[in-house]
Amino acid sequence: MPELSKWMATVRISWSKHLAYKLNFVLLVIGPTLVFFFVKFSLWKAIFSLEGVTTLQGYDLRRMLNYQAWTLLVGLLAQGYNSMNLAEDIRLGRISAYLVYPFGFWPFQTASFLAFQGLQLLVSAVTLLLLVVGGLLSGWSWPALLEGFVFSLLVGFFWYQISFLIGLAAFWLEETWVLRVMFVTIAQFLSGAMMPLEVFPVWLESILQWSPFPYLTYVPAKMFMGEYSGSFAVAALILGLWLAVVSLGVNWVWRRGLRLYTAAGM
Amino acid sequence: MIECQGLGKDFRHYRKEPGVLGSLKSFFVRKYDRKAAVADFNLTIERGEMVGLLGPNGAGKTTLMKMFTGIIVPSHGSLKVFGHVPFQREQAFRKKIALVMGQKSQLWWDIPAMDSFELLQKYYEIPYRDFKKRLDMLSALLDVERLLKVHVRKLSLGERMKMELMACLLHQPQVLFLDEPTIGLDLVAQRNIRDFIAAYQREQGTTVILTSHYMADVDALCARIVLVLGGQKRYDGSIRGFSGILGREKIVTVVFGESVLADPPGFERFDPQWNETRTRVDLRVPEPELRSVAIDILQSLPLLEFSMEKLPIERVMSTLLANPQLLR
Repeated sequence: MPELSKWMATVRISWSKHLAYKLNFVLLVIGPTLVFFFVKFSLWKAIFSLEGVTTLQGYDLRRMLNYQAWTLLVGLLAQGYNSMNLAEDIRLGRISAYLVYPFGFWPFQTASFLAFQGLQLLVSAVTLLLLVVGGLLSGWSWPALLEGFVFSLLVGFFWYQISFLIGLAAFWLEETWVLRVMFVTIAQFLSGAMMPLEVFPVWLESILQWSPFPYLTYVPAKMFMGEYSGSFAVAALILGLWLAVVSLGVNWVWRRGLRLYTAAGM
Repeated sequence: MIECQGLGKDFRHYRKEPGVLGSLKSFFVRKYDRKAAVADFNLTIERGEMVGLLGPNGAGKTTLMKMFTGIIVPSHGSLKVFGHVPFQREQAFRKKIALVMGQKSQLWWDIPAMDSFELLQKYYEIPYRDFKKRLDMLSALLDVERLLKVHVRKLSLGERMKMELMACLLHQPQVLFLDEPTIGLDLVAQRNIRDFIAAYQREQGTTVILTSHYMADVDALCARIVLVLGGQKRYDGSIRGFSGILGREKIVTVVFGESVLADPPGFERFDPQWNETRTRVDLRVPEPELRSVAIDILQSLPLLEFSMEKLPIERVMSTLLANPQLLR
């Protein structure tokens, strides 16, 4: 019980931090929808208005926008949190305090992530509402919504763990943003966040299904759309295995990294 | 009790020649230096002691503190703090210690200190009634009751340091590590913090390890001091004994009505330290000669003021840093 109350207290303090700045919070809530309309909506409208372009691998404009809207929701539910600050905290010696408190650094970060996820649920609900009102999410159903939602939460935890792992590279590297940008760019491309994976060659698609990438965006988006042809359990198992691998990596790298930590600037 | 034997910490860093060429060269061929920040350090501190770690910048004081608190891993030797190996960071160990870093805030900036305290109450599993009692006691002692609900970033440095101290004492640690707790504070705030630490330690019997560049802190708080130079222990003993390293001496201060351009005869023997306008001089006079020197000055010089005091610890420190051979 005392452990649970530590987690709850950390979640509460994390919420206090997020809600400390009103304008920031309002932007956090409505920002994603604004960005979607300014970037993706305009981009795909422009592509489909080109002469001769009516469908792309079976996607017409309406279906493509529908897919893109769901990827936005997956992104909000699963990829909103980043541990960018972690690398800086390590480099500038700011994790020292957490090494002294009787609550681990990973639990602290994870509780903060869970608090953030709680807020993201609110942001996602607002975004979902705006997209439905905007007519971009046609033909959705409650079972599909539930399936996509549960899977997105699993993806969120995977994304958090991989961000944490990349952040830990700061024990060895001065700058870790290159690693992060590389990972995010590759993930954006191979996960279907830019365009549906049907546009890739079949051989690449069949290789990718054993990697974590399609499960980060394409699979949950298709679940939300009610179009996922694979098994939920298999998808969850594959991503779960990758999550286990990354978690082992986090544990190992943290132990090794701490031996190099110098607590600079104290 | 804190006990270390042969404790050492090495840091590795690479050498880079200046300029673009140097940067290019170091990209392909890198020369590494290994520096012992702390070497072969032996120390025993008993429960309830208040010990000052003294030394210039880069001497290894903070590295010692980091090892004592389990933040960094020693390269050599053994270390036990209240029966625990710090780097193993057991929960029981973390509950026994507290660390105040004058140069780094441990409170969350975007929220009021009270929120941080409530979080710490959970982390340290302090029964709520005890927490409330200690919070009331500490906030009254430090006179910060009205500041508990103010965002930490809005507090002055002195107020923030009081909050940092409160955060560290709520769980009643058995050992308190204070790393430069008064750095950057004005004289009044320094004295307030000092008085508080002294009173708290007297009442609770907490073991306190202090590092500070302000000798006044050490002078006022610590009966025992440990001098660290180049990562090694060079003195470990009473503060009185420390002053005695330079022999039994007193500082004689003489103030003149006008500038004295040349040292009066005989002054050069007593390490004269003049002020900018050369109207005041401090002399280090051995105690056996004190009487004759005082009479001589009073009779032969047109002075305005004359006073004598014990050798300030700053003066002992600066003399020893300039002449470390005196420590052998």
